[in-house]
Amino acid sequence: MIKLHNVSKLYEPDTRALHEVNLHIKPGEFVSIVGQSGTGKTTLVKLLIGEEKVDGGKIVVGGWDITNIAQPEIPILRRQIGVVFQDFKLLNRKTLAENVAFALQVCGQPIKKIDSVVPQVMKIVGLEDKMHRYPQQISGGEQQRVVIARALVHRPRILLADEPTGNLDSINADEIIELLQKINKFGTTVVLVTHNRDIVNKLRRRVITVEDGMLVNDQQVGKYFL
Amino acid sequence: MISKSVNIFYKFMFILSFLRVIKASVQDVGRNIWLSIATITILVLALFSINLLLVVKIISSETIQAVKEKIDVSLYLKSDSAETEIVNLQSKINALSQVKQVNYISKAEALETFRIEHKNDPEILEALIELGKNPLSPSLIVKPKDTNKYDELIESLVKVEDDIIESKNFDDHKAMITKINLIAEKASQAGLFISALFVIIMLLVVYNSIRVAIYTHKREIGIMKLVGASNWFIRAPYLVSSLVYTFIGVLITIALFYPFLGLLQPYLASFFSDYGFNLISFYNSNFFMIFGLEFLAAAFINVLASLIAVGKYSKV
Repeated sequence: MIKLHNVSKLYEPDTRALHEVNLHIKPGEFVSIVGQSGTGKTTLVKLLIGEEKVDGGKIVVGGWDITNIAQPEIPILRRQIGVVFQDFKLLNRKTLAENVAFALQVCGQPIKKIDSVVPQVMKIVGLEDKMHRYPQQISGGEQQRVVIARALVHRPRILLADEPTGNLDSINADEIIELLQKINKFGTTVVLVTHNRDIVNKLRRRVITVEDGMLVNDQQVGKYFL
Repeated sequence: MISKSVNIFYKFMFILSFLRVIKASVQDVGRNIWLSIATITILVLALFSINLLLVVKIISSETIQAVKEKIDVSLYLKSDSAETEIVNLQSKINALSQVKQVNYISKAEALETFRIEHKNDPEILEALIELGKNPLSPSLIVKPKDTNKYDELIESLVKVEDDIIESKNFDDHKAMITKINLIAEKASQAGLFISALFVIIMLLVVYNSIRVAIYTHKREIGIMKLVGASNWFIRAPYLVSSLVYTFIGVLITIALFYPFLGLLQPYLASFFSDYGFNLISFYNSNFFMIFGLEFLAAAFINVLASLIAVGKYSKV
């Protein structure tokens, strides 16, 4: 599903974000990418969604070589990858349903489809009763669930979650991880980027450890060992 | 069959996206209302100054035309000149290459014209009666073929010697035309400078408005990109906003300029009383050409400014 071959990324003037990273994530896997802040985890996410370009190596997502992806192709890539960030990225002037519908509207989807998909994904994340509330009227955990719902509207084959629990307490964080596991059970490949030791240890799934821009450990049933 | 359905689906999606773009643009103009007002004001000032320039051009060319039509040279003849002598002189002058037409005004016709011209001046009319005879001379009115060759005509007429010529009246019409041309040229230059200044300001203001609009929507643009919105969908609302600004600007300019023409017209009507020149009628008959071209030119400039701003600032 995701293949990285000798991927390197440098930031000017001399910051080495990633160095000759080799990685293969199979379809349907739940992978945690762990490491301390500034080790290159978010750079990896940015490379996978076409926000940054590699300085060396090759990236293939779902059989599509995105190493030198052209600007007009990036939206097509992003419709196939759901992304969840730590800072939610919700629009406060829109209701929860409108925030989710927005992802379909901007891609030109018809109203009929939007009207049927939005309640479905809101039900998956357990917020079908709060669809007409605004982001500031719900908790952080619920906001993150809305973001996950928004990421699901395009039925992505991959869900990238970059520190999705970073702004949440442990109860809300557990709920989000449960939700990600539920989505993974539906067949979506989930890549969880985190530095939350407890969560990674509880998951007992594949763990890839990044340090100084390099993959230093890859365990099929791993633990956070840094 | 399937590919036809897919095509229809994509066309439908495009139309839907386009409608959403229009909606987003109108919302954008409304949400940044003060910025929109400032942008439209500058646009109106620019368009108004361009229209003023056009009015100056029209009036000056009409004035020059009017003066040219009035240009003639009068040769006053002796009162006792014989009819045959006058006809001979008339054909002699008519033969000159610079002459378009020579009209003979007899003593009686001259008196009649004089009476009509001074019908509201009883003192002059009384003086005429007291004189008891027609004091006016017959004359030949010479119309030039080409007003630009007025000097050559004068030169030729000076050479015409005939005993029946009493005096020659060579008013300096050429100097007058040159003066009008000069004033019109100066006014056009000033107008052009002001218009160019407003166009540059318009470009900068629209550029800045779009930049600020993008800045205020930075978060929204970021999310749009994240969820897979195409660049077209992200950028188009700002381009359409600039077209909305232009359209509103042209409408306001029309709404302001017509009352202005209404104020100007009475003065022009008295100035061009013999020519039936009407600026409002001119604008009415050329409405779509004048305002259509102004809309296209302003839209081009604004879309250009927006394209630069969007290209530079929408990379979130």
